[in-house]
Amino acid sequence: MEDVLDEVVSSEDLQKFERVFHEQLHLGKVTHKAQFEYAWCLVRSKYPTDIRKGILLLKELFNSHPEGKRDYLFYLAIGNARIKEYNKALHYVKSFLEIEPANQQVLALERQINKRMEKEGLIGIAMAGTAVLALGGLVGLGVALASKKK
Amino acid sequence: MTSGPYNYSYIFKYIIIGDMGVGKSCLLHQFTDKKFMADCPHTIGVEFGTRIIEVAGQKIKLQIWDTAGQERFRAVTRSYYRGAAGALMVYDITRRSTYNHLSSWLTDTRNLTNPSTVIFLIGNKSDLDGQRDVTYEEAKQFADENGLMFVEASAKTGQNVEEAFLETAKKIYQSIQDGRLDLNAAESGVQHKPASPGRPLAAQPPARDNCAC
Ligand SMILES: Nc1nc2c(ncn2[C@@H]2O[C@H](COP(=O)(O)OP(=O)(O)OP(=O)(O)O)[C@@H](O)[C@H]2O)c(=O)[nH]1
Ligand SMILES: [Mg+2]
Repeated sequence: MEDVLDEVVSSEDLQKFERVFHEQLHLGKVTHKAQFEYAWCLVRSKYPTDIRKGILLLKELFNSHPEGKRDYLFYLAIGNARIKEYNKALHYVKSFLEIEPANQQVLALERQINKRMEKEGLIGIAMAGTAVLALGGLVGLGVALASKKK
Repeated sequence: MTSGPYNYSYIFKYIIIGDMGVGKSCLLHQFTDKKFMADCPHTIGVEFGTRIIEVAGQKIKLQIWDTAGQERFRAVTRSYYRGAAGALMVYDITRRSTYNHLSSWLTDTRNLTNPSTVIFLIGNKSDLDGQRDVTYEEAKQFADENGLMFVEASAKTGQNVEEAFLETAKKIYQSIQDGRLDLNAAESGVQHKPASPGRPLAAQPPARDNCAC
């Protein structure tokens, strides 16, 4: 457990919030609260299908409930990063930072996403067998990413 | 700089709880980065921080979950209480309402953690003594009655911040030594990482538990 992207929801919690959401869905009136709580658990699931479902619910909230925008953007970034959709995740991070440029929590998330991109890039390239050459390229990429942030 | 897979022998899980705006995130950042954030936005959900400390010659990694105090996050943040070895419960000495809510925070903590969880009460913003709304004596009495450790601290000046986090760890470590905290219990909030001599892989016996998680 090194950062928020590693953390996994317990199945009891996921089920608990899923039940509430489905009950409300059945009655035809889902509150923002129930949908957000369920989505927040889904994007922390270990199963990508759950995470994708969570992302859909968050997008829906984002479009229908402007007051919760920062919460939804934050968890959209987390969900996408967890299914390795890093560019999408960074897009949500950027939208957030346009509103709150100095938010430490979101800046930390951005660093974690960049770190994962670098790490996974390195693994992919090393397997291709041109590790030394690739390393130079990767450092370049890291620098490009880092400077793009500003 | 480091050798071997671990440079610590224990992991302790902490949570930080309390009303919104009492300074939970500022306490965390003061402890992990030695910085004060004058203009800190409300936390979204939970924030995570780590720092390695030393207690009785043992290196301990603290994994700290700073929870959002805003009501709409409450239902889900409660699941982070599970398996906490330490709980820092924070109020703001300049806002009486944050102190009045402590009993409900305490009830939650008692219900959702285990009997060995160390609960440390922090009266934050002690630098704002002129605006004080809760006396030291009153809070001290509340802490004593409920068996909590207690300090007044300031995330701004750093006063007593280090102490609160370290004293909690010492108390947890003591519980391990006394056998009151069962390391094998699933939700003790403590993980033991057997020290590994930083030898090359080939020289080691087939290891199973060496994942870097
Ligand atoms: N003077 C003074 N101000 C503080 C201190 N600690 C925090 N603050 C201020 O109090 C405000 C709230 O601090 P936060 O750390 O964001 O509070 P929080 O408890 O994390 O709030 P939530 O995330 O909403 O639960 C910020 O503007 C801080 O600058 C302190 O020790 N002294
Ligand atoms: Mg906070």
